[in-house]
Amino acid sequence: MEPPVKHLTRVLLAFSLLALPACGAQSAQSAPNAESATLIWAIETQPVTFNPHLWAQNKARLLVFNQFDALISRGRDGSFQPWLARSWEVSDDGLTYTLHLRDDVTFHDGTRFDAAAVKANFDQLLVPGYNPTVASIQLKAFKKAEVVSPTTVKITLKEPDALFLDFLASPYAGQVSPKSLRTAKDLKFGGPDLVGTGPFILDRYIQGQEVRYRRNPDYDWPPASAEHRGPAHLEEITYRFLPEAAVRVGALTSGQVQVIEGVPATETNLIEKDPDLTLLTSLNSGTSYSYYFNTSHPPFDDQRVREAFREAVDVDAVLRSVYQGTATRAWSIVGKKSPFYDATLERTYGGDVAKANALLDAAGWTERDAQGFRVKDGKRLTVREVASAPFVRDRRDVLAQAIQAQVKQNAGIDFQVKIVDQGTAQRTIDDNQYEIFGNSRGDSDAGAALNLILTSEGAINRARYSDPRLDKWLATASATSDQAERADLYAKVQRTAVLEKAIVFPLYVPADQIAAHKSVQGLGFDPASGTPASAYDVRIGT
Amino acid sequence: MIKRLGTGLAVLWAAATAAYLALLLAPGDTVDVLIGDGPDTPEIRAKIIAEWGLDRPEIVQYLSYLWRLLHGDLGRSYQLQRGVGEILASQIGPTVQLTLAAATVGVVLAGVIAVVTAGRGPLSRAVASTAELVSVSVPPFLIGIVLLSVFSFTLGWFPVSGAEGPRALVLPALALGLPIAGVLGQVLRGGLERALEQPFAVTARSRGLTERALVVRHALRHALIPAVTLAGWFTGTLLGGAVITEILFGRPGLGQVTMQAVTGRDMPVVMAVVLLSAVVYVTISTLLDLAYRVIDPRIRG
Repeated sequence: MEPPVKHLTRVLLAFSLLALPACGAQSAQSAPNAESATLIWAIETQPVTFNPHLWAQNKARLLVFNQFDALISRGRDGSFQPWLARSWEVSDDGLTYTLHLRDDVTFHDGTRFDAAAVKANFDQLLVPGYNPTVASIQLKAFKKAEVVSPTTVKITLKEPDALFLDFLASPYAGQVSPKSLRTAKDLKFGGPDLVGTGPFILDRYIQGQEVRYRRNPDYDWPPASAEHRGPAHLEEITYRFLPEAAVRVGALTSGQVQVIEGVPATETNLIEKDPDLTLLTSLNSGTSYSYYFNTSHPPFDDQRVREAFREAVDVDAVLRSVYQGTATRAWSIVGKKSPFYDATLERTYGGDVAKANALLDAAGWTERDAQGFRVKDGKRLTVREVASAPFVRDRRDVLAQAIQAQVKQNAGIDFQVKIVDQGTAQRTIDDNQYEIFGNSRGDSDAGAALNLILTSEGAINRARYSDPRLDKWLATASATSDQAERADLYAKVQRTAVLEKAIVFPLYVPADQIAAHKSVQGLGFDPASGTPASAYDVRIGT
Repeated sequence: MIKRLGTGLAVLWAAATAAYLALLLAPGDTVDVLIGDGPDTPEIRAKIIAEWGLDRPEIVQYLSYLWRLLHGDLGRSYQLQRGVGEILASQIGPTVQLTLAAATVGVVLAGVIAVVTAGRGPLSRAVASTAELVSVSVPPFLIGIVLLSVFSFTLGWFPVSGAEGPRALVLPALALGLPIAGVLGQVLRGGLERALEQPFAVTARSRGLTERALVVRHALRHALIPAVTLAGWFTGTLLGGAVITEILFGRPGLGQVTMQAVTGRDMPVVMAVVLLSAVVYVTISTLLDLAYRVIDPRIRG
């Protein structure tokens, strides 16, 4: 038998040989190269699908509009602007939408984009079991789409829907080649064989590693808000999936990737100090991260206790310590970036410890137990939050601990936070065994979120609060397309929920960050969502 | 050998049953659990009820579940809209690559360190056992971050992510292999030192054999037996560590799939991963039983 030590030597030798050529490669991983115009962007979340009709993750939104274009777009001011539809008319009764389409657009598979394609996309969305959520929420009012001419399509609704234009600008309205809808190997997952009209063509996807796009050389139909016309600047862009924030930052600072998204508060200082890097931040649209008080049972059925909880917390101090000054305080359910945000709510409540204690005394929570918690009729003033682990992001667990410490110290409230699996969280909610529910939503139109959260029958009415006035205002706002009237109604809704009834405790406005090498230009955020925009305008500067 | 196979099958059956019980006992309705975060329609619900026979008595459901497993049918992921077998098959390659590389790192490092330090002075012994202790007690996640910071972010020798080429495999394999090298190294050295005190070692030395040749040709074989019994732990560490390593390094593979399945409540995928781990475990321990016979002639006899 050969002595094993020889084997060992061979293996070691092989290992050192592997390492050798690597030493010379160090200088190659430096600044991005302007001539080849390729870019690597590290992102946090892998898409569960590349089919825009089935898009479900805000964190994966930045990929959708590389490959697909929607019918209309949103401008920086929140207004709707042309995209694949040059113009559109809405009938006075709000039931008919006539879209006039561009006639110069082709899909990546060479087929033409026309009115028949738009109809095919709508028909596909209504196929039973294809995307039941969109069919039952966003397309609830949809009746039919008709081809009037190759460039004109007429859409009829069953009832007016103020959110329909928002739908036409959403990833769901990303136009997929009807041919590939029929032939794609895996329709629900999408991939290189499910094609759109976008500025980039999906080249290769490796699950768990990366997705690569190459430029669509024929592209000449960007949304009105784009900074340039014609094909994209980059020849090729690769998005690499790096779920760990520290690894993304390390990959950026070492020049292995040129752009990252999702920069944690603990790393922003490091990036701001680095002269080679830039940091961009944008508040998300939709709703702020808020605690909803369960009003269906004690203690939060008593408004005084709800108000006392808010007064017991110094939100500014909590946010400073948890997010090192990078978080934006919220004052309303609606996020600061939304056109419906009611700024008059700012500084109208919160942070008054004396008032908190007076309110609790008045509500009968006068005694204290051995640990200093308030007691009434022998029961401790305990409130419970149950959070589902997959939704705990942005250090929300640490935030809850900071609030827990404040309400205990300032007002003797026992705030218990449990992080559990999704099934347990769902059962706790079904069994009504919670007093606080934390939530934020990324809807591009805040009205869509308010419908779910504040209407009596809303799917996530976790405050279990029912108010006929709120129902009426929200229904009216959903049926009108007059933005001023909607803003007026949503302001009433916010005043009622936040100030008058105190059923919600807004905490912070979720934000997205992009950090990049200085030479990368044209990075920005999607005006509709506040999440990173597509790579269409991205270029490598000199 | 037949007894060995029987035990293996019993372990597999137990794993399948445990996975099934976990499904039944998970909070919420079984249909809800199986759907997870996937699309929820009456059609899909009806399909799940039919596929899993949820309208029949529980014992029948259980038997039909075992029956489908016997036919290699692992069920469907309702979240990813694909067959579970297909999902696992497409992701198993990179994980096999990673775990084999990590196992090689572990075995080679442990072997080298044990052979070099066994029977040497107290200083080299102390250095080696400190290194081993550190590599065992530091979690693979931290080892990975440190390796990345030094060799990727600072020195730029190795890329941070990807499964392309051997260079991208080096750091993940080290992160996953070092804890194994630590434990294995300790056990091997202990075995070597015991073997070197045996009468046969005295005989061999008296034949004029050098210490090194004695260690490599004779003592190593004795030391291997306690090391091989660690294989079960070894397999578990590799499989569990692969999840963390793949996420950290952004590598494709079963670890990523498992993580996504757990956070997305994709129960059919989670159950299949449990079963797959059991299969791997049983296969490896069976193979190692055979290896014993090669290493130790007394068992053969």
